[in-house]
Amino acid sequence: MADDAGRLYGKPEVRIDGAAKVTGQARYASDEPVANPAYAYLVTSAISRGHITGMDLAAAEAVPGLLDILTHETVGKEAKPPVGPDQKPTTTTLETTQVWHDGQIIAVVVADSFEAAREAAHRVVVHYAPETPSATFDSPGAEAEVRKTDEQHKDPAKGDAPAAFAAAPVKIDARYETPTQHHNPLELFTTTCVWDGPKLTIYEPTQTMYGLKAAVAKQLGMEPADVRTISRYVGGAFGSKGAATSRTVWIAIAARRLKRAVKLVPTRDQAFTIATYRAETRHHLQLAANRDGKLQALIHEGWEVTSRPSSYNVSGTETTARMYACPNIATKVNVVHADRNTPGFMRAPPDTPYMFALESGMDELAHELGMDPIELRRINDTQTDPVDGKPFSSRSLMKCFDAAAAKFGWAKRDPKPGAMRDGDWLVGYGCATSCYPSNIGPAAARLSLTPRGKAVIQLAGHEIGTGAYTTVAITVAGGLGLKVTDIQVFMGDSNLPPVPVAGGSNNAASTAHVAAKACEEIRQKLALAAVQNNAGIFAGADPSKLRLTDGALAGPDGRREPLETAVGRVAGGALEVHVENVPEGLPPDAAAGLYQGKMAMSRGTGRKDVTAYAFGAQFVEVRIHALTREIRTPRIVSAFASGTIVNPLTAYSQYMGGAIWGVSSALHEATEIDLREARYVNDNLADYLVPVNADIDHLDVIFVPEEDSRVNPLGIKGIGEIGIVGMNAAVANAVFHATGKRIRKLPIRIEHLL
Amino acid sequence: MELTLNINGRDHRLSLDPRTTLLDALRDHLGLTGSKKGCDQGQCGACTVHVDGRRILACLTLAAAVQGRPVATVEGLAHGDKLHPMQAAFVEHDAFQCGYCTPGQLMSAVACVHEGHAHDRAAIREHMSGNLCRCGAYPKIVDAIEDAAPKMERG
Amino acid sequence: MRPFRYEHAADRAQALQLANGPREATASAHITAPIQYLAGGTTLIDLMKLDVMRPEVLVDINALAGQHGAIRADASGLHLGALARMADAADDLVVRRDYPMIAQSLELAASPQLRNMASLGGNVLQRTRCNYFRDPSWTACNKRHPGSGCAAMDGVNRKLAVLGASDHCIANYPGDFGVALAALGATVDIEGAGGRRVLAFEDLHRLPGDTPHIETNLKPGELITGFTVPAGPWTRRSLYLKIRDRQSYEFALTSAAVALDVEGGVVREARIGLGGLAAKPWRSHEAEAALKGRPLDEAAAHAAADAALAKAAGHGEATFKIELGRRTLVRALLQAHAMEV
Ligand SMILES: Cc1cc2nc3c(=O)[nH]c(=O)nc-3n(C[C@H](O)[C@H](O)[C@H](O)COP(=O)(O)OP(=O)(O)OC[C@H]3O[C@@H](n4cnc5c(N)ncnc54)[C@H](O)[C@@H]3O)c2cc1C
Ligand code: SF4
Ligand code: FES
Ligand code: FES
Repeated sequence: MADDAGRLYGKPEVRIDGAAKVTGQARYASDEPVANPAYAYLVTSAISRGHITGMDLAAAEAVPGLLDILTHETVGKEAKPPVGPDQKPTTTTLETTQVWHDGQIIAVVVADSFEAAREAAHRVVVHYAPETPSATFDSPGAEAEVRKTDEQHKDPAKGDAPAAFAAAPVKIDARYETPTQHHNPLELFTTTCVWDGPKLTIYEPTQTMYGLKAAVAKQLGMEPADVRTISRYVGGAFGSKGAATSRTVWIAIAARRLKRAVKLVPTRDQAFTIATYRAETRHHLQLAANRDGKLQALIHEGWEVTSRPSSYNVSGTETTARMYACPNIATKVNVVHADRNTPGFMRAPPDTPYMFALESGMDELAHELGMDPIELRRINDTQTDPVDGKPFSSRSLMKCFDAAAAKFGWAKRDPKPGAMRDGDWLVGYGCATSCYPSNIGPAAARLSLTPRGKAVIQLAGHEIGTGAYTTVAITVAGGLGLKVTDIQVFMGDSNLPPVPVAGGSNNAASTAHVAAKACEEIRQKLALAAVQNNAGIFAGADPSKLRLTDGALAGPDGRREPLETAVGRVAGGALEVHVENVPEGLPPDAAAGLYQGKMAMSRGTGRKDVTAYAFGAQFVEVRIHALTREIRTPRIVSAFASGTIVNPLTAYSQYMGGAIWGVSSALHEATEIDLREARYVNDNLADYLVPVNADIDHLDVIFVPEEDSRVNPLGIKGIGEIGIVGMNAAVANAVFHATGKRIRKLPIRIEHLL
Repeated sequence: MELTLNINGRDHRLSLDPRTTLLDALRDHLGLTGSKKGCDQGQCGACTVHVDGRRILACLTLAAAVQGRPVATVEGLAHGDKLHPMQAAFVEHDAFQCGYCTPGQLMSAVACVHEGHAHDRAAIREHMSGNLCRCGAYPKIVDAIEDAAPKMERG
Repeated sequence: MRPFRYEHAADRAQALQLANGPREATASAHITAPIQYLAGGTTLIDLMKLDVMRPEVLVDINALAGQHGAIRADASGLHLGALARMADAADDLVVRRDYPMIAQSLELAASPQLRNMASLGGNVLQRTRCNYFRDPSWTACNKRHPGSGCAAMDGVNRKLAVLGASDHCIANYPGDFGVALAALGATVDIEGAGGRRVLAFEDLHRLPGDTPHIETNLKPGELITGFTVPAGPWTRRSLYLKIRDRQSYEFALTSAAVALDVEGGVVREARIGLGGLAAKPWRSHEAEAALKGRPLDEAAAHAAADAALAKAAGHGEATFKIELGRRTLVRALLQAHAMEV
C-alpha cells in the first residue's frame, strides 16, 4: 500500500524546521562551531586572460597574525584540476599560472583573524603578463562553435522547417537576447575544513552532498570514505551550489598545512567569479502559422557563452521544440568561448532563456494574426510531444491559462497596445506559458520506527529552502500512519544515505519515493510478522491488506494492533530499514552510482514511455509611468499544474519565489561586463539589482489540480523551477501591450522605453 | 582592544582587533551565529540587529562603537521555548524559504512595528525594503507582519 | 581594511583636537586625510573594507549628538545638527510639514537600517558609487589615484554623471539629501582648528575638473556641525522626486528637488536641484530663472527642464539620463504645482 505515503499530501503543513530558522538556531555551513579556526581570505585575479609572472608577498607576510599564503608555487601541485558542472574540463585556479577569467582564485591568505587575513590579502602584489581578453559575443577573439549532439544534448527536429516557414502566410522572424545573471543566494560561498588525522570534514553549503564529497576526494587523491560533507541548511542555492567549485580543495589544503580548522567566508564580489552563473544567450526564432493560427514551422537557433576550456551549455531548444503542436521543427545551438568563468545551472537553466524567446515570439505571432495570445496557445495545444510523438504524461496547460486568466481579469484587457491607462501610468497585461520537465533520480534512506510510534529518517538530502525536511516528514508520517510531529528527519550530512543533487526540481519526487519505499518496507515487515504470529490478532491474514494507520497496524475489518506490539514482535528496540529506490527506466546500478557521487536521472524528455513536464500560465500587469518610464508590476498571477502537491504551504512559496525571480530577471538582473577587460563590474547587491519588498505587491498562485499516474508512482512533478520560466516573456509581452514597444533584450529598463 | 558588549541583556568581555565589526564579533567571537552575513557592505540587511532599540546593520558597525549600548539579536527574541509573536507568524505564514535572510527580516519586522510603520501593506513593504530576500518570500513576510503587529501590541 | 587607532571623542573640542594631528595640515584633501571622523560609518567602514579608504585613526564623533544632533525650526529656517540621524530628520513632523523636500530626500534614501545609522554630516560627504572607484583592482581611477586615468569613461557607466563631469572623472554624486540642501540654498556650519566658518552648501562640494580626488572645500580635520535651510515661502510647496529601477533601496538614476512659490498660478520663485545626474549636489539656477514670473504649465516645465539640462553631456550608457533628467524635472514641477499646501 505504497499509496499511504501520500495520505497527508495536499494539506498545508508548517515547516518542521521553521522554529530553528526563526530563532537563529538553524546552522548554515559557516555557523557550524569549529574549534580555534584560522581565517582564509581569497586573492583573486584582476585580469581575465594571461599569466601570473610573480607575486610580492613580503608586505602580506609582515601582517601580524598571518599564518600562511597558498599560491601556485606553494601548493599548486597538491590538487588535481577540477571539473565543471557538466563533469568536463573547466578553468583552473592555483594549479597553474594561467588566468582564465576575471576574479579567478590565485592565492589564499590564512591568518589568525578575519581582519588580518583580509588586510594581508589586500597587501599581496601580483605581477601579470596580461593578454587581450574576449568578453562575450562579438568580442574579437571569441570562438564560436556549433554544439554537437551527445547523450546530454539533442537538436530536436522534424519535417522541413525552412520550406514550411517560407510557404506559410503569417510569420515572425526575430532575435532575442538574455543577459548574464548571477544567482546571488543570500548566503555567501563559504567553506570550512577540519582534519582529524586522515579524515576531512567539509562544512560547505551544497546541493550535492555526495557530489561534493566525490569531487574533493578525487581532486585530493583521497578515498571518498575519508571525506565527509556537512550542509544542514543552505542559504539559498538556485543551482549555484549544484556542483563542486575550485575553492574547496584549497581550504582543505590550507587546513592540512596548518593542522588547524580553516574557515573561508568569501566576499560578495567574489561570489560572481568563484562560482557559476547563467550565461548570456542569443536567439534567432522563426515562427510561421496559417491564418487560423495553426503553427506550421518553428526554427529556433541559440547561442550561449561559456569559458575557454568548457563547452557547458543549456540547450533549451529541447523544451521550446516541445511546447506546441507543429509539423516542422528545426533547432540548433552554438557555444561561444570567451575569457570568462564557466557558467552553470541557474534556476530552470535551459527553459528560462529559451522560453523567453519562444513565448515572446508567440505573443508577436498572436499580434500579427490579430488573435488573443491565449487563443493562439489553445489552438496549438497538444497532448503529444510534437518532436517524437510520445504522449505527455499529463498536460494541463490550457486549464492553467483559463484559471489564471479568470483570476487575473484578462477579459478586461483592451487588445490594442497602448490603450489602457490609469492616470499617469500606462497599463499593460501580458501572459506566457511556463513549463519544466519532470525529473526523478535514485535515492537511498534509512528509516527507523520505535514501538512508541516515533520515526527517524536519515538521508543526505538538501534543505535549500524548498522545505525538504518537511516534505520527507509528511511522506513518512503518511507512510507509517503517524503524525508529522512524530517524525524526525536528518539530512545534510554525507554520512547519511545518498540522494541526488537538489537540482532539476527532482528533489521532492526523488526523496518522497525513497521515503515511501522505506515506509512500505517497514509495513511489510510488520505485516508479515503479524500474520505469521499465531497468537496475534492478524494470524493468517493477508499481509498485503494490513495498513499502518493512527499509530497502529490495522486490518481491513477495523481491528487494530498497537505499534508497541507490532514493532516489539520484530525488533528489540526500533525497527530499522535501509532502502534504495531506483525509478523506472534507470539502470539498476544507478543506486550504487549514487554513493560515488554519480547522478543518474530519469529526465522528462529522455524517457521511453512518455514526455513528462509540468505546465503553467503566468500573467502580469505592468505599469509604466507615462513620463519617466519606471516599470512596476503591481499584479502577478500564475497557475501551475505539477501533479501531486506534497505540501501546498511550501509549494506556494516555491512558485511565488519563482515568479518573483521571473520579474527580477525580466526587469532587474544583469551582470554588467566591462567589454575591454572582460570583468564583471556591478558585482554587488546594490548594483546587481533584485527586487525588494516594495517591488512585489499582489501575487497569486493557483494550484490547478492534476493527477498523473504516469510521471511516477506518487505523481509528483517538480515545482522549484517552473515559477520563473514564463515570467520573462509575460513581462515583455505586457510591456508591449502597455507601450506598443517590443523589447527583445532583457532586462527591460527605463532607457528602452524613453 | 578590550571591550564589553551587552548582547541580549548579558555583558560579554572581549579582546578584539579594533577592526572587528559587530557582526563578526557576534558570529566569530561570541558564537551568536543567528545574525547573518550576506554582503558585508550594507546592501542586504541579513545582519540587522537592534542597538539602543533601533534596527541597524551589524556589518557596517564597529564592535568598538557599541560598547556600553544594548544590542539585541535574533537569539534574544523568544522567551525560552515561547516564540516571539513575529517569529510565530513567520512560521505560520511560511514567510521564508531558505531562512538565511530571516533573522534580519525578523529584527527589521519587530522594529518596523515599533516604529509605527506597520499600519498598512504599502508601509510595511517600503519599510521592509532594506532586507533582501533572494528566495522571494516578500508577500508572506508582509502577511506575517500584518498578523503579528496587533499581537505584539497586546503582548 | 588597514589597521587604525580607534578614538572616542566626548565632545566637539576633543574631536577637533584628536582630528587635527600634525599631518592634517599637509593632507591633500579632507576625505583622504589620515585621521577621519567616524559617524554612522556607512560610507567609511564600507570603503575601508574595500581598501579604498585607509585612514590611520578614526575619531568616533557619535557622542557629539548631544551638542550637534538637534533638529530645530524657527523663523530663520531649519537647523539640522550634523549628528542627527537621517531617520530622525525624515520622521520629524515639522520637517515633514514645512520642508517636505528635505524629509522626502531622506526617507527615499538607503534603507530604514541605514537611515538609523547614518548622520546628516556623513551623508553629505558620502562618495560616488562608481564601481571602478570602489574596486581598487581597477588601476585607472583619477579619483583614487590622481593621474591614473578613468576606467569608467569608456566602461560600464550607466549611473554616472551627465552634468559637471570632466575629462578626468565622470563620477556622479549619489546622495539625495545634499541635492535638497543645494536646491534650498542651505548653509553648512564648519568648525576647524582655526575656528568656525559658514559655507554656502553649494560651495561645499567641488566639480572634479582635473582634481577629482579633492571632493569638497573642507580642510583636513574640519568638522561639519550642522546645516541651516533658510525659510522661504517656497519650502512648503516642495518635494523630492526620485527615479530608480526598483521601487526602493536604490540610489537615484535621476532625481529632482523642487520648491515653488506660486501666486495666482504664476511662479514667483523656484528652487530646483537635480540628483543622480551630476558630479556634485546640483542646483539649477537656469531652470529657476526659466520659471520665474511664468505661469507653471507643461510648456514652462519643459522649458525649465531644457534649461536645466542644456549643458548636459552624455558618456556611453549614461546618455539616456539627459532625457530622463528632463522628464524627471517636468514631472516634479507639475507635481509640486498640483500640491495642496
Ligand atoms: C547600500 C547603501 C545604500 C545607500 N543608498 C543611499 C541613497 O539611496 N541615497 C543616499 O543619499 N545615500 C545612500 N546611501 C549612503 C548613505 O546615506 C551614507 O553612507 C551615509 O549617509 C553616510 O553617513 P554616515 O554618518 O554613515 O557617514 P560616515 O561613513 O561615518 O562618514 C562618511 C565620511 O564623512 C566624514 N564625516 C562624517 N561626519 C562628519 C562630520 N560631521 N564632519 C566632517 N566629516 C564627517 C567621515 O570622516 C567619512 O569620511 C546608501 C548607503 C549604502 C551602504
Ligand atoms: S568616473 Fe571618476 S571615480 Fe569613476 S573611474 Fe573615472 S575617475 Fe574614478
Ligand atoms: S551583511 Fe550587513 S547588510 Fe548585508
Ligand atoms: S528566505 Fe532565502 S533569502 Fe529570504
